Amino acid sequence: MGRRRRRVDREAAVGPLPEAIATLSRTLPAGPSPEIFRRAKFDRPEAAPALWRLLFHVLSLLSANGASASAAQEAQVRMVKSELRSQGYPRRALAQLPEDGSQGSRELLLALAWLLARGPLLERLLAQTRVPLGDEIPLFEGVSLVPLECDALARPSPSAPHVEADGPMDIRHLQWLMGKLLFQWRKLITSQQEQCALLGKIHTYTRGCHSDRSLGHLSVAETELLRDAEGGQQLLRRLERENARLEAALQWRCRELVFWRWMDTVLGTCPPEASHPTFLPRIPERGTGELELVARELQALQEELRGAVESRRAAWEARVGGWGPEWNAVQWASWEAVGHELAALQQAWEPGGAAAQPHGPCRLVKSDAGASRGPGLRAAQVIGVLRSREACLEAVLCQLQRQCRQELAKLAGALPGLIWILPSGH
Amino acid sequence: MSIVTVQLGQCGNQIGFEVFDALYNDSHCPQGLCSKRENEVYQESCKERFFSEEENGVPVARAVLVDMEPKVINQTLSKAAQSGQWKYGQHSCFCQKQGSGNNWAYGYSVHGPRHEEPIMNLIQKEVEKCDCLSGFFIIMSMAGGTGSGLGAFITQNLQDQYSNALKMNQIIWPYGTGEVIVQNYNSILTLSHLYRSSDALLVHENDAVHKICAKLMNIKQISFRDINQVLAHQLGSVFQPTYSMEGSYHYRRNPLGDLMESLVPHPEFKMLGIRNIPQMCENSLAYSTFTWTGLLKHLRQMLISNSKMEEGINWQVRPPLSGLPPLGKVSLNRELHFNTSIANLVILRGKDVHSADLGGFKDPELYTSWLAPVNAFSAWKTQRAFRKYEKSAALVSNSQFLLKPLDTIVGKAWNMFASKAYIHQYTKFGIEEEDFLDSFTLLEQVVASYCNV
Repeated sequence: MGRRRRRVDREAAVGPLPEAIATLSRTLPAGPSPEIFRRAKFDRPEAAPALWRLLFHVLSLLSANGASASAAQEAQVRMVKSELRSQGYPRRALAQLPEDGSQGSRELLLALAWLLARGPLLERLLAQTRVPLGDEIPLFEGVSLVPLECDALARPSPSAPHVEADGPMDIRHLQWLMGKLLFQWRKLITSQQEQCALLGKIHTYTRGCHSDRSLGHLSVAETELLRDAEGGQQLLRRLERENARLEAALQWRCRELVFWRWMDTVLGTCPPEASHPTFLPRIPERGTGELELVARELQALQEELRGAVESRRAAWEARVGGWGPEWNAVQWASWEAVGHELAALQQAWEPGGAAAQPHGPCRLVKSDAGASRGPGLRAAQVIGVLRSREACLEAVLCQLQRQCRQELAKLAGALPGLIWILPSGH
Repeated sequence: MSIVTVQLGQCGNQIGFEVFDALYNDSHCPQGLCSKRENEVYQESCKERFFSEEENGVPVARAVLVDMEPKVINQTLSKAAQSGQWKYGQHSCFCQKQGSGNNWAYGYSVHGPRHEEPIMNLIQKEVEKCDCLSGFFIIMSMAGGTGSGLGAFITQNLQDQYSNALKMNQIIWPYGTGEVIVQNYNSILTLSHLYRSSDALLVHENDAVHKICAKLMNIKQISFRDINQVLAHQLGSVFQPTYSMEGSYHYRRNPLGDLMESLVPHPEFKMLGIRNIPQMCENSLAYSTFTWTGLLKHLRQMLISNSKMEEGINWQVRPPLSGLPPLGKVSLNRELHFNTSIANLVILRGKDVHSADLGGFKDPELYTSWLAPVNAFSAWKTQRAFRKYEKSAALVSNSQFLLKPLDTIVGKAWNMFASKAYIHQYTKFGIEEEDFLDSFTLLEQVVASYCNV
């Protein structure tokens, strides 16, 4: 059966398989040769080290904390396993591979394919390793903000001295660390302000220097090029490398079908797992007719609800209407406040809410106040969005603080004879 | 990053001048003992921090001068202009015709609100001249009227208007035998107000500096100028540029922030003191040689025995043996021998600085039980020598060193307050008994905190 399928592949494909794999390899950072992939299909141990390295490289580039590339082999293997597990990779066979990195080339190939198939892996990798030329600000990255925050809270801090079995910790130690954090926060703000001021200077002083009229001024990297010719050569080489990878990525797009068909055969050669993949969310397969029925019902309910609300609101407004303009103002203000809050909440929770905004880094360009409105985003718009997100995060913080306070109160309640005074104000 | 200095009152203005003079002279000292290139970077870094350049090339101090009497300000301005090397800005001072008569309440409640707007405008203009503001350095006396009362008011305003900028108050502790009868009242009011609005209080005791002038500098007739020059030397040795980290040759961008992060993160422990070694008159310097080992051994003993200078160190004082109850529990009436540190910062400048062994300061017994040396100790270094000292070390310490003087001042003020002496001079200008009581409460908490480290 495998043989027949391959013959079909050859007929449908734009090019042969090794070429497709080679383009994928060129797109990936430090991608191995196509031969490694071929051997991995047959689970040959000599292909394993290169694939562990590749997966480690890819995953550490993707994770925010960027593990050091110099980590020992075993640490790399552990990191790959845990990172895949935390992303929901379903195959148990991978987790059971030995930690010396000597085996498992086929499992690793499957894992790589899983990462590729699951999301915009290549795009993210290319974005990570992009050579920035303009001055950039990251915009609206990390769509699901709230879960992220909670994740950070739940994770233990990397270095937590004195928490060992020394008994209870002195509260002054915590206060000290907290104070340190506050000072670091203030230092960070100051250095951000400095960076902005210096950026502003460069943009002002190089006004009219850029060949691109829509930009008008140079960026830091461009200004640096003028001062340092050797750096320019290096930059050129980096740009050439990046171009090669981008070209490879384009070719990959045309040829990936071959790869996926081949991956089918790889999957076919490995023994099926005993347990079903339980990590992935699955869309229940129901008849479309049933779905339509539910949708109609839902719509009818919404209509009914709207009718009920409107009649009640009209009655209420008629009763309140006589209370004068002051009341109207108050009502209007609370309307607006609720609207803002709702919008902020929606933006944070809905994956689609943030997607409406431009994503990723944007080039920072200073233009005259009176200049015509070109394409792009105004600083004021960005500030507005950031404000609403700040409000949203603050709401989350308040909620977390409330939870902590309740928890503390509960703990204090369990100790007889202890008086617990809640802090006022907040 | 830049620091804006606010010089307040007679004391603040006189010291401020000496500080800028010391900073300028050090950065243009020909005996820097380092390469020309490195010297230039050092100068540049110092200038960015404390001076802005005027069009004719003369550096202008990033400072605002405030006093309620014109005399001292005029003297200060003309001294700076006469130096020909640096000057104060033309429109950077504010003065009035009438002082505060050593009345803290007058400075705080009358002069403060009355002149708030022009003073804050001057400060804002100075801030706008900086590419980036790291914070404020506020020089003032603790026990007077204008400097301390108005100083507390201004610090509070800075806290409101520039909440992210760092605020360090350099305050001059009065002589124990001061002639101003209400100096203890003024002191507790200053300290308690600054404890609420400032990030760090860098304290210089007049008595200690006086002794340094007499014993180390061999000055017979000690003037305020002599004392202020010692102060300026000490401050310069802390705030002149140092490398940003071990093995780096870049200078630290935000020394004020780094210093505060390592020394005063805890809101109850904000008192800092400086010790220097060696400190001597310039004539003797040429005949002296020093080793890092010797200097650091002395500096460590100065710290733990709480002596302010290298002469007359009590070498008997040793860290308490672990297992015994900490000395903090011992009643204050008994002589405190061992000076426990909360955090220390050592700054080394000069030849072979990388070979200096700082192990003696990383001894856990020097510190409190709740802070390990890795959190409590930090060191800054530069190969560039400070002034004419081939090697020099400074120690900024957050320790129990002020516990006794603070307890004494609070005690004396409390005794006067109990008999309601001179209170009417304060209530007349809006500082009520309630304010005194608040101040006592806060400072007793500070005493207790330092006592039970």
